[in-house]
Amino acid sequence: MGDLLGEWFGFLHGVGVTLQVVAGVMAFGFLFGLGLALTQVYGPRLLALVATSLERTLRGIPVIVLLLVVYYLPWDLPPLLVAIAALGLCSSGYQSQIFHTALRSVRPGQVEAGRALGLTDRQVLVHIVLPQAFRLAIASWANEFSAQIKETSLVYIVGVAEILRHARRIIAYTFGNSLVIYGFTALIYFALTRAGNAFLRRLERRLAIPGLGKPLA
Amino acid sequence: MRLVQIVLGFLAVMAFGLAAEEVFVVGLDAAFPPFTWVEQGEYKGFDVEVMRKIAELQGFRVEFRDLPWATIITALAQGKIDIIASGLSVTCERAQVVDYSLPYWEVDQAILVRQDSELNAITAFLGTVVGAQAGTTGYMWLEDNLVAKGVPVELRAYETYDMAVRDLEIGRIAAVLCDTDTALGFVNAGRNVKIVGIVKTGEQYAYAVTKGDPYGLLPRLNEGLRKLYELGIWAELVAKYFPGRAVEPVPLVPNDPCR
Repeated sequence: MGDLLGEWFGFLHGVGVTLQVVAGVMAFGFLFGLGLALTQVYGPRLLALVATSLERTLRGIPVIVLLLVVYYLPWDLPPLLVAIAALGLCSSGYQSQIFHTALRSVRPGQVEAGRALGLTDRQVLVHIVLPQAFRLAIASWANEFSAQIKETSLVYIVGVAEILRHARRIIAYTFGNSLVIYGFTALIYFALTRAGNAFLRRLERRLAIPGLGKPLA
Repeated sequence: MRLVQIVLGFLAVMAFGLAAEEVFVVGLDAAFPPFTWVEQGEYKGFDVEVMRKIAELQGFRVEFRDLPWATIITALAQGKIDIIASGLSVTCERAQVVDYSLPYWEVDQAILVRQDSELNAITAFLGTVVGAQAGTTGYMWLEDNLVAKGVPVELRAYETYDMAVRDLEIGRIAAVLCDTDTALGFVNAGRNVKIVGIVKTGEQYAYAVTKGDPYGLLPRLNEGLRKLYELGIWAELVAKYFPGRAVEPVPLVPNDPCR
């Protein structure tokens, strides 16, 4: 047990790697997912169809399979990039759904009012639809964030030393302590998802607009 | 187009970097003490030190990458890594997809049972459930020499030996078959297991490179082993990681894995 205390650094390093992966995945998923959602809602018919089938495909492939596919692409990508690309692709499928729903939830009256004020389509999107849609999306996005933190525990198979890999390494060289170490690992994941969700919940409250997201009276 | 340019540029930089500095990526499964492990973020173990010393003697640099055992051979076969140094046994199947250096180590398979068990080397494999890590030579031996020959034994594959030993300790399986050095590790760590017998497989560990040896590494690895032995460094490393084990001159004479 004594040597376990010395492994704090290993775990901290693993947490750092996990956070890098999650940050990359959520950013990638945000950009690509939002792009997909916008294309689905506003794009020309054919493009919308492409975006929809892409989203269905991405949501229909297990993350671990996507990881291996990206890993065995014929380019020499660094493992961290492989992890971010694979999980990011998967997440963009889900995030596009989140934004799709959020975009559709903005009341049509809002868009009409914007047009009546003489705003262009783009101005309506940027100043009226997106700010509301993002606020509506935070809760589901927080859910996706938790899911992705947990999904990162798979990326060790492509050689990224995240939290779970550190746990396995310690178990391997101490020839035991499995329960303690996996228990501790569970705690770390729990703490990370809790902290992330608490932050996003606060963000949601701070950005809340009276009346938005409530059913019409 | 832009993306293609970026990718090409990236590849060019990588290729140039390799040519200029000769950095080779050594893949290992950091869960195989005393050959490879990671302690407090640092790569350690017999194979890690041997690789570093050979690189130093032969004038190239090595970078270690930790990969799970199940994917390590494909990673090398596909050129994702350049060398495997991870207590890798030479087998006929593996020799079809990778090229081996001369062997540097010999092991047998140890039969582990619970400390209070009355099973012996024979009864441990009769009408019992036996475990081994998937993809290891221990597992292959059980398949080829027991199951394929109709011995009434049930195999269970585990992702790690730690899990197999855990199941052994709590009575879900009757025995575990693993490399002798690994078996000693579990015994010395005070796990509730004992060695009741050794299966003389006489398998040899060697370093492996991508098929066709695209970087001409094999002569350098073999020469490195020879020099390590001549300089006495080999004996020091063996004494450090395997106290009490006899030092054999390396490289060893290779057995034919496809005999």
